[in-house]
Amino acid sequence: MSLGTRDILNKGRLLSGTSACPGCPENITMRLVSTALGKDAVFIVVAGCSSIIQGIGPNSVYNYPVLNIAFAAGPSAASGMARAFKMRGKKVKPVVWAGDGGTADIGFASLSGAAERNENILYICVDNEAYMNTGGHRSGSTPLGAKTPTTPAGKKENKKDLPLIMIAHHVPYVATASVGYPHDLMNKIAKAKDKDGFSYVQVLCPDPYGWLFDPSKTAELGKLAVQTCYWPLIEYNEGKLEISPESLHCLDIRTRKPVKEFLKMQGRYRNVPDETVKELEDYIDKMWIRFKELYEGKISI
Amino acid sequence: MMSKVITGNEAVALGVKLSRVKVTGIYPITPQTYIIEELSEMKAKGELEAEIVRVESEHSAMAATFGAAVSGVRAYTATASQGLLYMHEMIWWVAGSRMPIVMTVGTRAVGAPWNIWNEHTDFMTERDSGWLMAFASTPQEAMDLTIQAFKITEDERVFLPMMVGMDGFILSHTKTRVYVPSQEEVDEFLPLRKQPYVLDPEDPVSMGNLFQPIDYMKFRESIHLAQINSKRVIEEIGKEYEKKINVLGNYSSLNESYKLDDADYAIVTMGAWSLDAMQAIDELRNEGLKVGLYRIRYVRPWDEEDIRKKLSNKDKVLVFDRSISFGRGGHLYLELKSTLPDIPIKGVISGLGGVSVGKDEMKFLIKKFAESNQVNEWFYPSEVEKVELRDPRHIK
Ligand code: SF4
Repeated sequence: MSLGTRDILNKGRLLSGTSACPGCPENITMRLVSTALGKDAVFIVVAGCSSIIQGIGPNSVYNYPVLNIAFAAGPSAASGMARAFKMRGKKVKPVVWAGDGGTADIGFASLSGAAERNENILYICVDNEAYMNTGGHRSGSTPLGAKTPTTPAGKKENKKDLPLIMIAHHVPYVATASVGYPHDLMNKIAKAKDKDGFSYVQVLCPDPYGWLFDPSKTAELGKLAVQTCYWPLIEYNEGKLEISPESLHCLDIRTRKPVKEFLKMQGRYRNVPDETVKELEDYIDKMWIRFKELYEGKISI
Repeated sequence: MMSKVITGNEAVALGVKLSRVKVTGIYPITPQTYIIEELSEMKAKGELEAEIVRVESEHSAMAATFGAAVSGVRAYTATASQGLLYMHEMIWWVAGSRMPIVMTVGTRAVGAPWNIWNEHTDFMTERDSGWLMAFASTPQEAMDLTIQAFKITEDERVFLPMMVGMDGFILSHTKTRVYVPSQEEVDEFLPLRKQPYVLDPEDPVSMGNLFQPIDYMKFRESIHLAQINSKRVIEEIGKEYEKKINVLGNYSSLNESYKLDDADYAIVTMGAWSLDAMQAIDELRNEGLKVGLYRIRYVRPWDEEDIRKKLSNKDKVLVFDRSISFGRGGHLYLELKSTLPDIPIKGVISGLGGVSVGKDEMKFLIKKFAESNQVNEWFYPSEVEKVELRDPRHIK
């Protein structure tokens, strides 16, 4: 897909006047995703910021059909929809749109169930690494050391490895993306949509409100996360793991930017102790060793 | 129409097939499992033209069924007990969305402690959710109500989901003679589903999104009014069913009476033990006791008018409950008490967790009530009266 920024603005199916915070990464992602998907999709939005961003009913800034639904119900409702459209002989892709809380925590059983059944749906996790809509509380996807209202001393555990867990479901397509790389994101969404079966895309969404940075820096943080190799851009397509071009440099530890550069821009990492940074770096190292071995075919899932 | 000797679960599965359900989200739980096994079997044999979504929990079963209904097809599911409670959140979501869905509840006790046997507490705890709620007393009725439920829920004056209760094991697993209509008969009664609001790429609507408090409250009122208005629809559709499908059935009113008109005393029941109650009444009538039965078939809508009409001239009323609202009493007792404030009403709670209460126990209770008014709120059949509760309070 070759779309310039202007095309995206023109073809995007998100109307103006959303209720999102300034610099909202979910808002940007929704614009990109809805453009990449085209017409034959319906959205299932589970509880989260995106339930609010669309504005007050009966009006909506989402210029496509949306079913808003309770936290844990997204993937199963999408499964029922996919089956109903099949019975009606219509080619429509149900797209679940969920935050990291809905994905890693409360909705995980139904996500895993839909993946195991290889339902013909696309699941998008907009990962802003906390329960931002309720006040920025820690989720299973919050990274080590991050300060949130429920982890004021910094989170003690690492982020849940959702992309790998989803790869382990052996579904046709799993990818990660970042709001800092719109074209990569849109290409992956377009590919995922065409799969005849379950696909999963997790988009890193740096959130000015919860990560505490200036709202003009959303895209910049989205890029830094990838450049420092904190966030991998990968693609698992029909059993084969690929590293996206933007992340290839992460395979060699010497070509990575220091993670500190990414952390120092965020209020949630203010005064983080050196040991925590070290622990986070170790976690990232290990993640890349795993991806490298998968990529080179030395191990398989 | 032909007759078959089948269980309640089989009867319901046949009703679902005849109603041309297109998608069902299923999850197994005793005692309804046989319904979903039957549906799976029918599908495997090519007799059922539907998608079966074999999900990983009851929460998902209701969500998948909901997703299908939202996308414009007729959808069904079944559950019981813990499963019903586990899908509670989605039950509210479905009613709040005014989505026609039909569900069978094979009623069963709710733990702890574990108990797989029959009672109505699971079913009764959903009566504030906005669903229409019917309760069968025979396998025949379970099937008939299931078929009618699709037509009722899809009526534009209603647009609310409906659950049909059926006593776990007592009806779900007992084989009796059931008259099964032909596909042509059901097709004539129940046309293919039409729905004015469907999620479709052609129409960019947002459903279930955030509304202002005043609009939210209006939605609530609309559900309340739809419940009340559904009474007329249920009667209409019941009459049509009697005429077109089951000529032996009696569906033109929401609830049923037995030997009630000339009775001095009335008892109120719901579900399978209503038949034991009828036998008890027959025998008591032979002994000269003028007693009659009022059977609740619809818990929601609640037919206040009919209850007043049929029961307000009775000397006293005894309500049998197979469920309990802790600290208050049986659910039906509480409903009846608020419907008939001027009549002496007593409530008996029994049959919980599968405790067997039959004709003889009913006879004993009704007689005692008529003669002396001395009935205990909690009734245990005589052979178990001496069972001591071994609970933590007894540990020294
Ligand atoms: S909290 Fe974050 S995700 Fe939510 S609306 Fe604000 S910026 Fe967007």
